[in-house]
Amino acid sequence: MNVKQQLKEGLLTQNPVTVQLLGMCSTMAITTSLFNGIGMGLSVMVILTLANVFISVLRNVIPNKIRIACFIVVIATFVTMVDLFLKAYMESLSASLGVFIPLIVVNCIILGRAESFAYKNGVAVSALDGIFQGLGYTWVLVVMCVIREFLGAGKFGGGLLGEGGNGIVIFPEEFAIAGLSRPVGGFLVLAFIIAAVQYFLNKPKKAAKKEEVAQ
Amino acid sequence: MSENVAKTEKKKEAGMGQMIVTLAAICAVCALLLGLVNMLTEPVIEANETRKKAVAMQEVLPADIDDYKAVTYTGTDATVLNVYEVAGKGHVVEVDCAAGSFSGTLAIMVGINEDGTISGVKVTNTAETSGLGSKADDVSFKGQYVGKSGTLAVDKDGGEIIAITGATITSRAVTAGVNSALAAVDQLG
Repeated sequence: MNVKQQLKEGLLTQNPVTVQLLGMCSTMAITTSLFNGIGMGLSVMVILTLANVFISVLRNVIPNKIRIACFIVVIATFVTMVDLFLKAYMESLSASLGVFIPLIVVNCIILGRAESFAYKNGVAVSALDGIFQGLGYTWVLVVMCVIREFLGAGKFGGGLLGEGGNGIVIFPEEFAIAGLSRPVGGFLVLAFIIAAVQYFLNKPKKAAKKEEVAQ
Repeated sequence: MSENVAKTEKKKEAGMGQMIVTLAAICAVCALLLGLVNMLTEPVIEANETRKKAVAMQEVLPADIDDYKAVTYTGTDATVLNVYEVAGKGHVVEVDCAAGSFSGTLAIMVGINEDGTISGVKVTNTAETSGLGSKADDVSFKGQYVGKSGTLAVDKDGGEIIAITGATITSRAVTAGVNSALAAVDQLG
């Protein structure tokens, strides 16, 4: 397995959110501002990479029967570490992500990659897997944030850009679809993104099939 | 490759003793790491908390940062968390309004002038619905309390505080908290 293929898998063909459908809960809950999206994405990426490396190093030591318990201990440790660091050095991010940082412990992306990848592969590829899968998660979050913020509040870059970090106002908030910044908007936007990604991923196959039929 | 996999599979068939030792060792290493990180971050987190509180206190009752002196509250109102006194200026009361809130997390800070009128209100911790109850910290709502005294109520209950549209429960909770703060300071004399 080469680096390029791994990157493509993380970003598209095996994207944790749009293809594996993991980590849906956090994806829908925190994508209300660009700052949250990037912060959450990077946090998950760091935890995923560290957990992958740690588990990959220990993969020959961990007995099969208790592997899930070991994974959870390792993941919980890294999540708590990241949580403490955010609380200490990035207070505003920690405050706006709230309970969703501790909840990364039960995020299926990390347990899923530990089980299906890091436990079976070497340290270097596992580290890369963590980075690429993390990037795959992050881009979906960022896209969702941009769409929900734009349509739901008429803004761009909430928490990062604009006056007082409140985002650049593109159109007045009273014309926005307020529902999109609520949980229901998360479901809708995520569904559209998954549908779009699936459409583009499956398109070439359909074309090939048609050709086959024509012949 | 498959031979290799079979070999590792075999190695992973461990006995009870080995399982216990492995899990215990992993837990020990993790605990050690966590302890180290906690040692590093704890003072910073504490300093952050203190600063956040100081900023909130200065917002509701402006005074020099060293002038806020904690006072022991002896009353029976369990929602009153902390009372601070600023000599010659008034009091700052921290109230937990969670009991009446919509989502179960709501704390406010109330500044009260020496003459018993409110100098400012700030929501310090909230999980109220974004876009509805979260507006409790907007000046348009919390500004209504400034200058008032006595026992307050929202307009639905016949009072003069205009409740946030769609968040009457939150408005009531904040108002109840402000009343608790006023009562607490009144009791202190």
